[in-house]
Amino acid sequence: MKKLSILPIFLFLAGCNITVLDPKSSTGKEQSFLIWFSFGLMTIVVITVFILFAWFVFKYRYTKEKDDVIPKDVKGNLKLELTWTILPVLLLAVLAVPTIAITYDQSPVSDAKEELDGVPIDVKAEQFKWTFTHENGKEVTDELVIPETDAVIFHLKSADIIHSFWVPALAGKVDVFPDKELTYEIKNPEAGTYKGKCAEYCGLQHADMTFDVKVVSAEDYKKYIEEEE
Amino acid sequence: MNIPFFGDLPSDVLVAWIFSVILGIIVSIFIIKKKKLPVIWEYIRTTNHRKIGTMYILFGVLFFIRAGIDALFIRTQLALPNNEFWVFQYEKYNEVFTTHGTMMIFFAAMPLLLGLMNVVIPLQIGARDLAFPFLNAVGFWLFLAGAIFFNLAFFFNTTPDVGWTGYAPLSTSEYTPGPSTDYYVFGVQISGLGTIFTALNLIVTIVRHRAPGMKLTRMPLFSWAALITSFLILIAFTVLAIGLYLLMFDRLFGTGFFSGDEGSPVFWQHLFWIFGHPEVYILALPAFGMFSDIIPTFAKKRIFGYPAMVISLALIGFLGFTVWSHHMFTVGLGPMANTFFAITTMLIAVPTGIKVFNWLFTIRGGVLRMTVPMLFSLGFIPSFVMGGVTGVMLSVSAADFQFHDSHFVVAHFHYVILASTILGIFAGLYYWYPKITGYMLDEKLGKWHFWLFLIGYHLTFFPMHISGLQGMPRRVYTYGADEGLTTLNFLSTIGAFLMGVSMLFVVWNLYKTHTKKEKVGNDPWNGRTLEWTVASPSPEHTFDPMPVVKEMDPFWYAKQENRELETTTKTRAAPIAINTIIPILMAFSLFVVAVGLTFTWYWLAIAGGVLLFSLFIIRSLTDERKDHYGKGVETNE
Repeated sequence: MKKLSILPIFLFLAGCNITVLDPKSSTGKEQSFLIWFSFGLMTIVVITVFILFAWFVFKYRYTKEKDDVIPKDVKGNLKLELTWTILPVLLLAVLAVPTIAITYDQSPVSDAKEELDGVPIDVKAEQFKWTFTHENGKEVTDELVIPETDAVIFHLKSADIIHSFWVPALAGKVDVFPDKELTYEIKNPEAGTYKGKCAEYCGLQHADMTFDVKVVSAEDYKKYIEEEE
Repeated sequence: MNIPFFGDLPSDVLVAWIFSVILGIIVSIFIIKKKKLPVIWEYIRTTNHRKIGTMYILFGVLFFIRAGIDALFIRTQLALPNNEFWVFQYEKYNEVFTTHGTMMIFFAAMPLLLGLMNVVIPLQIGARDLAFPFLNAVGFWLFLAGAIFFNLAFFFNTTPDVGWTGYAPLSTSEYTPGPSTDYYVFGVQISGLGTIFTALNLIVTIVRHRAPGMKLTRMPLFSWAALITSFLILIAFTVLAIGLYLLMFDRLFGTGFFSGDEGSPVFWQHLFWIFGHPEVYILALPAFGMFSDIIPTFAKKRIFGYPAMVISLALIGFLGFTVWSHHMFTVGLGPMANTFFAITTMLIAVPTGIKVFNWLFTIRGGVLRMTVPMLFSLGFIPSFVMGGVTGVMLSVSAADFQFHDSHFVVAHFHYVILASTILGIFAGLYYWYPKITGYMLDEKLGKWHFWLFLIGYHLTFFPMHISGLQGMPRRVYTYGADEGLTTLNFLSTIGAFLMGVSMLFVVWNLYKTHTKKEKVGNDPWNGRTLEWTVASPSPEHTFDPMPVVKEMDPFWYAKQENRELETTTKTRAAPIAINTIIPILMAFSLFVVAVGLTFTWYWLAIAGGVLLFSLFIIRSLTDERKDHYGKGVETNE
């Protein structure tokens, strides 16, 4: 019961700008939609269980009057058992539809067959830094500048072990492998300054393997990649 | 600090040395003063299931405490942003979370569960011992040898720091040269081998040695859970053994399974998670079984929907092998794989849900006695559901791109594993403690333990959902003050210490129980199953004469109808418990092999191997039943 009472507090907290739930790209927005959607469906399950649990535990707790009571044995109930088999299946079917749709659209792929349309950025990860190479060959370490555009296409490869590329405010993460190149697309990033992190444990300075992300207007981006460091 | 022979020792290792030496001296004095040496000698050579189970539990608790202290180090380091607690930054932090994970899974949760199964399963099904008592002892000593080997790394300041998942290529010799990762490889390999033996043993015991009349459809649910879990262990731990074996060759002999041109780091992830995900159910199913026995006992009402409970156990076990790639949604397996594993993962929620509702409806209409085991079982239900639903959220693969490897995942798996496995182990220990020792644990202190632990557990892990969504990756030793993570992390730390404090009540409880020395009878809880018909603690020769089982919960219905259980003297030949020193020597010889390979002293590895084979030969030439012929033990197969 204690848990029930603290739940609203956290929901309230959830309202005020949790990074992942307040994403700054349409890719991230689709993901946060899925998070909220699945959370909503699962809240139904949690509340059902909590209510039944609290009701049964309270009603059937031991009291002095029940000292000699031997409760009636109930072996089962086919109708009830079918109910809590079929309803969850339906609930999960509802959840599966948007899951499949968005997963097909967003899953990172290796060796992208067709060239995706968008601003390409090569990402190289190594212990313990990130190198971003822009279209015209400009290389920058630990600072990622991308334009506000329809799509930014990241080509990710590692120079040593597995890392994972994550900008929580923009979109989900994608692993960076030494033996294959992965392609990940972030659509419609919004202007702002964000923090990027390595999300796959990679050794000594894993926690410090962060980078700054700036999303700027298309013109500013053009200027940025032209200017010399 | 520089110490001859050991080299530069950091202060945490030094403290551990001093602490261990002092503790060792105190324990030795206690043993000699109380004249306990013969007891220890007896336990070293025993093959009796209750004694082996007790040792599993003792060492499980010991390693649980060690891994728990590691957790407190982690939480103290993370309590505040940019914190620098003692030595726990960078490699020390990496070592401490690797140790915490590996120890909790392999050397705390597994032995505690195997220990409880060892003690309880034969008593529940009316067997006099496990089918292969000798193998049982081998399994236990292998577990202990692996655990000790893993623990030694810390004392020589070469603790593994590759995470409990040991992802390649980080775990290959190119990126972690030196012996540290080898301690992980061999420690887990040796103890895993022991686990496989014990699983085989349990399968044969449950299939072959049930009491007359105990059809599978009358078997208690903990025994069912043990049977299905054992099949999972058999497959999953074999896959892990292969993975570790290949990694060993990569590290020692330059093969390239998990790196280079021919190999791929993704292969390790597949092998590890084909083991790793069923492992989650290996931990959870026995707990489900225990709750399914404890709840009816204290509700005075048989389990609701027994057939559905058995089928859902089996379904969870089966589906558990089809979901491993949900740990790898961000690996780039492609949309098809991501969708398939999302759907199978969601499906697992269905049989799990069936179990939850069946427990709820077992409670409905009962008379609930709020004993400590019952409290832990009741605390499990809402807590586990909270962890279960985040599991469904994680199965949504595109959403998982955000959740993956963040503190949200840390919150999720601690929620499910603590709720099922740890609360289950606590429930089981309080419940069967009389059967193991003959004493009953104190109820009042037990309730303190329960409430502090439960509140601490929610306070620790609930905020982690939010800190994960706030962008905190797992396995980082610090975070910035400007990231909005401070309050959440501080709450988690308070919760962790509450759990720590609750464990002090366990220590107090044990002390109190064993100084009071109040013996209890066979059936202190008014139980339902066969284990409550034998003496507490259970003697070496049980079920003489053998009870005949005519229904589920036979003891309960016999008591209800005021009759004795029917018995028979016509039984199968029972396994014979003997005293032998060979099992511990076998484990020791594998330990020697591991030391030899870790430090590339191949002569030592060969010596260990030779010792092992000699022991096989000695064992083959020994007739272990010989001592019993004279005593007129019946063997009327």
